[in-house]
Amino acid sequence: MTIELRNVWFTYPGLKRWVLRNVNYLFNDNKTYAILGPNGAGKTTLMKLIALLYRPNKGSIITWGYEYWKLPKDRRLSIRRRIVYVHEKSILLKGDVLYNIAFGLIIRGVKRDEALSEALRILKDLNLDYLATRDTSALSMGEAQLISIIRAIIIKPKFLLLDEPLAHIDIDKREAILNMLRMLKRDYGITLIISTHDVSVAKVLADEILVIREGTINKMRQLS
Amino acid sequence: MNEIIEITLRSIYVSGLATLLSLSISIPSAYYLSRNSGIARVVIPVFEALIGVPTVFIGLTLYMLLSTRGPLGFLKLLYTPYAIIIGESILVFPLITAVIYRVMHITWVTYGELAITLGANERQTLMLIAKQALPGIIAASIMGFSRAIGELGIALLVGGNIRGYTRVLTTAIALEVSKGSFEVALTLGLILIVTVLSFSALSRVIERWYGL
Repeated sequence: MTIELRNVWFTYPGLKRWVLRNVNYLFNDNKTYAILGPNGAGKTTLMKLIALLYRPNKGSIITWGYEYWKLPKDRRLSIRRRIVYVHEKSILLKGDVLYNIAFGLIIRGVKRDEALSEALRILKDLNLDYLATRDTSALSMGEAQLISIIRAIIIKPKFLLLDEPLAHIDIDKREAILNMLRMLKRDYGITLIISTHDVSVAKVLADEILVIREGTINKMRQLS
Repeated sequence: MNEIIEITLRSIYVSGLATLLSLSISIPSAYYLSRNSGIARVVIPVFEALIGVPTVFIGLTLYMLLSTRGPLGFLKLLYTPYAIIIGESILVFPLITAVIYRVMHITWVTYGELAITLGANERQTLMLIAKQALPGIIAASIMGFSRAIGELGIALLVGGNIRGYTRVLTTAIALEVSKGSFEVALTLGLILIVTVLSFSALSRVIERWYGL
């Protein structure tokens, strides 16, 4: 179970320069990757390409051995459902926390009651069940980020991409999120790809660090 | 008095159906445009320009199409409430579509990627976007309804202002003014304004009720 970027070039409509230039990288399963780079280097764009949210202008993305963007739509969906991207600024649906966490299960055909029970179970496991009935508009940024990550892990993805998960977060919630990421790495067997501009976070969590600058991956470091 | 109630109810029925008919095409159109920004950049300014088209022009065009010698004359819709419904739905379509497009575009930027990354298929994504955009869709519907119920040109030209059949509030006002019955015309005008305000208030209640 791998995701491979081969000679990937990407730019946004109307932009007259490449945001990513000839990116090649193989992401294996059961590893944690950190993508480091300054603001505007192309971290988020790279993450969204890996998450299959963006289509490259040139090059190909190989998922599970198949060239994703050449697959028929129904087969794309089954692959897409194994990769989840969590935005830098949490996006939560209108409603309460429980519904938000259960959402991914509900759209996968799990009955609403069962999905909500599962959401409550996972919140209890994480000692966050006090948030269950809270309206999402009443959450702090740290709580919202935690809920976004829980909403992603409840659907048991193979690849979980977290875009700057610790940006805009208070110190107390920062530790809670770091603990959750350590737990995901240790207990869930999920491949984590984390973008950050914080070197210490990358050192703590990552098996491999990619440094992105001006649209190219120009340095890779394997941690022992 | 009974006739005034009957005219008011007919106005609500005709303009309500016209709004619903337009919505059934506007929502998928706006969703498609929100996903295809290149096409939207061309189409939406055209729709925004069409919002100001005089109702009498739409009425006249529809009259020529539906008249006995017109290409759609065989449908025998001229001087029926259905002709007014079709005309008013054409009138409000650009307005409703342009407003819903704006709402859906913003909603898509926020929630579209989220739906896709959480594994939603095309239909589920549309449903999520529509649900999150619902307050905006309701507001667009009220705008469309207000525009439809307040127009005169279409109702007069293709409805014919037939008593007990196609007479609506605006055509009744025009008739009363032509007869010099300004008091009755003013009463009908007040009823028109109260109706529009009531529907606007109702939409707010619905939004609060469902926590939108």
